Amino acid sequence: MIKINIHMQTLKKYALMAIIAASTIACKKDKENIDTEKPTIDISAGTAFPKQCSQIRRGSSFTFRAKLSDNVALGSYSIDVHHNFDHHSHSTEVEECTLEPIKKPIKPFVLVKSVNIPGQPQQYDAQFQIDVPADVDPGNYHFMIQVTDQSGWSIQRGISVRITE
Amino acid sequence: MNRRTILTLLFTYSILYPACAQEKATKTIGLREVYIEGGRYKKSAEGAMSIDVLTSDSLQKYQAGSLMQTLSRLPGVNTIGIGASQSKPQIRGLGFNRVATVENGIKHEGQQWGLDHGLEIDQYSIGTAEIIKGASSFMYGSDAIGGVIRLSSPAELQENGLKGHINLFNRSNNGTYGGSLQLQGKNGNWFFGGGVTHLGYADYRVPTDIVYVYNYAVRLKDRQVRNTAGQETSFQLRGGYVSDRFSSIFYLSNYHTKIGFFANAHGLEPRGVDTVLYDCSDRDILYPSQHVNHFKLISRNYIAQDAHKIWMDLGYQRNYRQEFNNYTAHGYMPPVYPQDMNIPMNLERLYDKEIYHMTLKDEFALATHRLTIGGNVEYQRNNIDGWSFLIPSYRQKALGVFIYDQYPINEQTTLYGALRYDHSNIHSSPYQDWFASKLENNQSAHILRADELHRSFNSLVWSLGATRQMGSWEAKLNVGKSFRAPIAQELAANGVNYHYFSYEKGNPSLSPEQSYQMDLSVARRTGNTYIAFTPFFNYFSNYIYLNPTSGYDQYYGAGNQIFEYSQSKVRRYGAELKVEYRPLTHWKIELLGEYIRSEQLSGSKKGYTLPFSPAPSLVLDLSWSPKSSTYFKEPYLSLDSKWTASQKHIVPPEEKTKGYQILNFRAGTQLILGKSALQLRLQVQNIFNTRYMDHTSFYRLISLPEQGRNIILSVGIPFGTQNRT
Repeated sequence: MIKINIHMQTLKKYALMAIIAASTIACKKDKENIDTEKPTIDISAGTAFPKQCSQIRRGSSFTFRAKLSDNVALGSYSIDVHHNFDHHSHSTEVEECTLEPIKKPIKPFVLVKSVNIPGQPQQYDAQFQIDVPADVDPGNYHFMIQVTDQSGWSIQRGISVRITE
Repeated sequence: MNRRTILTLLFTYSILYPACAQEKATKTIGLREVYIEGGRYKKSAEGAMSIDVLTSDSLQKYQAGSLMQTLSRLPGVNTIGIGASQSKPQIRGLGFNRVATVENGIKHEGQQWGLDHGLEIDQYSIGTAEIIKGASSFMYGSDAIGGVIRLSSPAELQENGLKGHINLFNRSNNGTYGGSLQLQGKNGNWFFGGGVTHLGYADYRVPTDIVYVYNYAVRLKDRQVRNTAGQETSFQLRGGYVSDRFSSIFYLSNYHTKIGFFANAHGLEPRGVDTVLYDCSDRDILYPSQHVNHFKLISRNYIAQDAHKIWMDLGYQRNYRQEFNNYTAHGYMPPVYPQDMNIPMNLERLYDKEIYHMTLKDEFALATHRLTIGGNVEYQRNNIDGWSFLIPSYRQKALGVFIYDQYPINEQTTLYGALRYDHSNIHSSPYQDWFASKLENNQSAHILRADELHRSFNSLVWSLGATRQMGSWEAKLNVGKSFRAPIAQELAANGVNYHYFSYEKGNPSLSPEQSYQMDLSVARRTGNTYIAFTPFFNYFSNYIYLNPTSGYDQYYGAGNQIFEYSQSKVRRYGAELKVEYRPLTHWKIELLGEYIRSEQLSGSKKGYTLPFSPAPSLVLDLSWSPKSSTYFKEPYLSLDSKWTASQKHIVPPEEKTKGYQILNFRAGTQLILGKSALQLRLQVQNIFNTRYMDHTSFYRLISLPEQGRNIILSVGIPFGTQNRT
């Protein structure tokens, strides 16, 4: 019986030590300061362009404008314009735009551009001028915006636009 | 159940049980007990490692959509899965090329690096599955750095005769219908065996109507994951001569699968699809899809003379993987697929890999030492095709020589030592785009994605272990160094990963991963209790990791985020706990727990965990196996509850995963009908149709919940001359 008692006491002591050890590790973890937040893309401002269902005339120029922000430091952004003539529609926006009938691309407008955001800011007003050649296929397009922060978190927005004649 | 509770529990056990002791710890898994003597591994090189064993009976009892899902009930074993039927092993948080799967002595080689590539093995053909937790590079070379899944065909019959069984099964969640026929015979020293399995399934069901694939809302018809149906057909044949002095056995197998990918989440970005076409049948396999064929021929031989036993294993494998999709131009690819291309228009990617393998070893006794000296050579050839590029063609040669020593000091204590040297070299071919991209200076060029690459790697690894038995206790300690040579993907990838929506970039200057580990196992068996606690610690001086950078690439990566292979120091630790307690003759309570924590100690993701870190979990199982009666033999009923804690330790691009609890039910019996006995089994997985995400599932990234309720029925019909009830 004595032996059991000793065993029980030892058990309690060790259990206590284990709890302390466990909570120490748990606390240590909480102090670590790692970024777990994604950046954001804000196209709600009146000056932001393009927006969902925006129309762009071929042969003209426009400026992409969006407000990018992150809790720590922004990394870079990328824009990608490709046709949606096949209605693959991966828009992230709630509003649906009217689609033209499915058609075969002949000379669709393609743009892939990546830009490093200078100075690792928390906020950045992205501006980038895009020239749309006069001979590209008019129709439904996707305007994809992607943004990263310095930790490698990323976010994307897919906007439906239309290139008109 | 939060993480702290589990951690405390594990810690308490670790300190409570002094590291010493034990005598023949018998392990038992499954209800129809198959006691595995602790002594089983006493004379093997892996004697000091923590090993779990599952027999075919247990495999059928816990049968899930794939072999790895079935094994994942074991603590420390998880799956990195994609959908209902494709998954690959993960041991103690390490997966992909860090876990070696060995079937009948030969390392199974497919395209293990791929997230969406399952393990090409028929789960109905397995006799025994052993899971070696902890680095086993000293036995199986590169890839075994995280552990080994060792699979064996069913053992040959004890007596002459012909025996077999037909197993028919059905799973409700994805409408799986399948059957497997297994047959084996023996005549004196000669034996043969074989089997055929075929199964087909529809799109699987999840408890949700809408999935948000990177913010893009995808509506599911009837809560089914669009285009995840598939088929699987395989056969095996084996035979040979076995005696104490000499044995020669061949194993021939072919596995073929055809399976669709979730159509909305494949490609460069989430996609809308023609729902009229895709939703008209839940059994058709449309694009995107994969067809994989795995052929394997193995010859295992030994000859025993005096104190020596000389083994020779030969293996040939061919893994032929085709990934189909509608042509989708991205970046500067032409909008319409050119007519003059040699590559079929729907062939996105193709990998054709052939592997030749030979192992030669001599086991012999020298005084009280039991030594094994041997070596193995391997040659791999990997060719590629398809209009999309990710990894180049390559050739790879590897050579390893090893020595193990197993030295019993006395009845209770045995020491183990191992030393292994490996040399490998890889030669990858250059690859240039078939289309022109517009460069910064407005010029067009066919860009070179992969340069020709020659690399060679040398590694010396070692392992020291000890086991000690005292009374009902058994303790095992193993320390060692392991390595893993970088693979072609890590050295030379340069393309878009269609599942991560990312651009993956290899790093030709990577060095082999070096890992130091310590594994401890303390187990105790008394009359009605079995308890095993297996903590581990592991340090990588240069873990190879796919690092999401802050950059985008507009040429090679078609505007996608650059994920670049880099190396960092990593510390990992954790433990598994297994308790079996029989309060009454027919009742059993089982407790299975696991905890893993990884942390990167250097590099750009310092402070972050590793990707796909399993959350702490605990399984509590209550089983009742009433006495056999005239018509019902070995009946069982069991209810198990799995708690998984939330996973808050994440690394880009992961999301935090909430904790969950799921309940599973199992029942079964042998139904005696005259002279034969039908084996009936029922499982209800996820009884309450709980909506949850699994942190190690690939589809976690796109917030797709795991399978809903799944009712699995199987009937085993035995036949043959040896079959007596």
